[in-house]
Amino acid sequence: MTSTLDTLLTEREAELPAGILDEGAKREIRRATLTAVCVPGYQVPFGSREMPVARGWGSGGLQVTLGVIGAADTVKVIDQGDDAGVNATNLRRMIAGTTGCADTADTREATIVQTRHRVPEERLRDGQVLVLQVPVPEPLRGVEKSVIECARMHAEGDYSAMWVSLYEDLVRNGMITRTTGYPVLVGGRYVLATTPIPRWDVPRLHESDHLSLFGAGREKRIYAIPPHTDVRPLTFDDVPFEVEYAPGARCVLCGSDDVFLVEAGTTGAYACSDTEWCARVREGDADIQAHHERAPLHLLPDPAARLRAPATTTARPERPRPALPEGQDWALRVDGLGKVFGPGAADAVPGTGPDHGTAISPATGAIVAAWDVSFDVAPGEALGVIGESGSGKSTVLGCVIGDEQATAGHVRLAALDEGRTDLLTLPGDARRRLRVDSMAVVHQNSAAGLDLRVTAGGNIAERLTAAGWRGYHDIRRRAAELLDRVEVPLSRMDDPVRTFSGGMRQRVQIAKALATEPPVLLLDEPTTGLDASVAAGVLDLLRGLLAERDIAAVVVSHDFAVIEALTDRTLVMQLGRVVERGLTDQLFHDPHHPYTQRLVAAARR
Amino acid sequence: MGYSGARGGLEAILAAEDLVRRARDHAPAPWAPTEQITARFRLAVDRVLGEAGLYHEDTSAAALRQAEGDPLEAAHLVRAHRSTLPRLAVSEPVDPDEMVVLRRIVPAFREPDGPQLLGRTTDYTGRLLEQPAGPPPRQSRTPATPPDRTETQRRPGRFLDLLRKLDLVVDHRRADDPEPFDITRKPARPPAERSAALASMARAETGALVALWYRSILGPDGDIHEVTLGEVRHGRLPLRVRHPHTGNPVRVGEFRVTEAEAIEDLDGADEDRSRFDVGYGLCFGHNERKAIAMANLDVANRRFGRTGPLEQLLLLTTDGLDSAGFLEHLKLPHYVTFRSMVERKQAMRAAGEADEGPRVAEPAGQECR
Repeated sequence: MTSTLDTLLTEREAELPAGILDEGAKREIRRATLTAVCVPGYQVPFGSREMPVARGWGSGGLQVTLGVIGAADTVKVIDQGDDAGVNATNLRRMIAGTTGCADTADTREATIVQTRHRVPEERLRDGQVLVLQVPVPEPLRGVEKSVIECARMHAEGDYSAMWVSLYEDLVRNGMITRTTGYPVLVGGRYVLATTPIPRWDVPRLHESDHLSLFGAGREKRIYAIPPHTDVRPLTFDDVPFEVEYAPGARCVLCGSDDVFLVEAGTTGAYACSDTEWCARVREGDADIQAHHERAPLHLLPDPAARLRAPATTTARPERPRPALPEGQDWALRVDGLGKVFGPGAADAVPGTGPDHGTAISPATGAIVAAWDVSFDVAPGEALGVIGESGSGKSTVLGCVIGDEQATAGHVRLAALDEGRTDLLTLPGDARRRLRVDSMAVVHQNSAAGLDLRVTAGGNIAERLTAAGWRGYHDIRRRAAELLDRVEVPLSRMDDPVRTFSGGMRQRVQIAKALATEPPVLLLDEPTTGLDASVAAGVLDLLRGLLAERDIAAVVVSHDFAVIEALTDRTLVMQLGRVVERGLTDQLFHDPHHPYTQRLVAAARR
Repeated sequence: MGYSGARGGLEAILAAEDLVRRARDHAPAPWAPTEQITARFRLAVDRVLGEAGLYHEDTSAAALRQAEGDPLEAAHLVRAHRSTLPRLAVSEPVDPDEMVVLRRIVPAFREPDGPQLLGRTTDYTGRLLEQPAGPPPRQSRTPATPPDRTETQRRPGRFLDLLRKLDLVVDHRRADDPEPFDITRKPARPPAERSAALASMARAETGALVALWYRSILGPDGDIHEVTLGEVRHGRLPLRVRHPHTGNPVRVGEFRVTEAEAIEDLDGADEDRSRFDVGYGLCFGHNERKAIAMANLDVANRRFGRTGPLEQLLLLTTDGLDSAGFLEHLKLPHYVTFRSMVERKQAMRAAGEADEGPRVAEPAGQECR
């Protein structure tokens, strides 16, 4: 009797045969590979299968090769540039043995070259495919451990953390010390890990004639660099990218000094890592001249060029401050802003507020943290928002910044679309970009605004690189100017911010916020938590900075002294509502609302 | 030059393979047939088929023999074997309530719905090493023929259902019935749905999962607080596929699983503190450690997976093939990458000797506006 399983097996028999990967899996891999070619540098997820070699031993490269290879192909496999190594040998016999394709050690004969850690010295031609085995496909892992955050950074093209790491490297070591797997920008869009190939090989991926496919089996990613794609190593405009170099080294076998050399023996000798090239040079079967012209000799390390300040400054992205449209005098405008935590929106509001003495909705039990809050701020003006903790002032600021999702209302920036677009309708990435150059924030907690592991200069570099600055010296100069202005000693510029006092951290945060000269500055309790004398110094600084700039500032504080020192007009908030508004001086001298009177009395004590 | 630079890599590989075959396949001891391995090393076989994600005892046993008893290596052999096989059909959803229990413990309740069935366990046997020269004599105590079990004894009620009846559980059941995430076809990465985390745990390396569970209790960032095991069971479930011609579900076999439900106290500000939450664990074969760890981690992941590192840890760090493969790849030649590292060290030193000195902040170039 035929069982159900037998029947199933018979029906699928056409697909059966074999090898080390079933045909369905190969189709999946080809689909992922095609996607990768269409979106250069993007890591395409795929259902990586388990291979007869372990994860990390080329299981990704092997799958890519098996996915694209046919019996008519000729495959070459190298590891460290060597055809005869055990790993290369093992993979080659596996590929040739299960696909029936031919194998070769001669790069010129190969249609597919699978490799680990090298690109052949011989020029790869149009039509050839280079398959690279990738142990770690994520170039951002060194600066960001969360895979969710890495995905966001790629999606938004937000690579400032990477730039900061290069900046910090230069500050600490005087040079970029990244070794292999150097990050590159592909097609001007995605940062990609060049697997651990040496820097020497990186230029060979730029505008190449061949197709490069990258397979990461363990992490289940495929990515590609199609022929004739722009591939640029990440480095500042005025800091040259450097390839490996050993002074005076030559291959002991073939005498070449324009190839990637590895140590040979323990006596200081070197030899070609690409054993095929080495053998062909010795046999006179290599176009040495053409190879020499392509070798990245112009990228050999030049300590003098490394941190030499350029004679002319590179172009820094200056963004002209747009003039305010006719008849509009505000830089930031907030209308009817509301935030409800918990069930309900407008229907939760009745029965809450100062008149009812509670923020908790009798209808839904939700907390109405803020409701119907409206204000605008003009360039050169500072607006204060004062209230006790729980009054909703920080919630309002959070909604303006984008940390909180507002329940109701509109927020507009004159710098964005002449104030026509409501920020609250924008997705998270657009709001994040606005925080780079249109609306900066100084947080109460410096850890929220700074990376405490990074130097003071590096924190400012984070903002500048996000805004598109790519000149190392320009960034240094700008950071120094800013730190000087906020009275942080320049001797501390290259110290990690975690070694700074609270007042000093706030100064660095202010310098970072002002780095791109944003038209709007939001200050959330900027001096709370500082000693009185330190706070006074920071307030003096802020007053001076606001006075000399055409910036629109919103200052949130529970402290009338801060509001009085910095602002022209003030809103008083209680239980989520604005209970009084007016000129700061008048409010302070003649408060009308009983709540304001209490605040003022408390400030005078 | 190192071994990989040596000519004749193939000869070296063949010689190594030959050495393994001679010592393993022709060891001076009787051959271990597959049925001996499945009968005598039941738990090792179960562990391999669970971590491999392929339920077939004989395949698992053959892999264990070939891997000289290394369960991780055996799981690799089975998974690589499965990569060569086409997918014939997708089974019908399995209803764990159909399980015929071989063992069933409800620690949280004295007299649950149905029996407390100790079954085949060494939980209460003193861990005393026995070193008999041959098979120990049969126990004098011959078991009485067990009476036919009643339906309740064969398929006892579920402790969770009792808790639900008492309205003591937060209900996470959803009205829609989404297809579960298939980790063998799509890479599971955070943020992922619950089924992706459950599947990853079911196939995880047992030791890795237990270590992560223990880290959640004793580690610096623990997410498991009040540990009570609701129920653990080991039993048989039927497997059904739709017949290719009639389209009707047909029973094609059965498989053993271990299932666990873990109760977690809820104490978060935005949690229903008047109820419990329950986490679920299920894995192939008899592997109680894994199922219990999985159930605890399931509920921890629901509560804290996204606010801390747990979801990423579960999805990306518990697969034995991934972690072991990456570790072992360090044995591959790395002299090209190491040369590049050495070059940067030497360049740094050369720059230092050229007396470039430590970097000092440049003075302010111009007055800040």
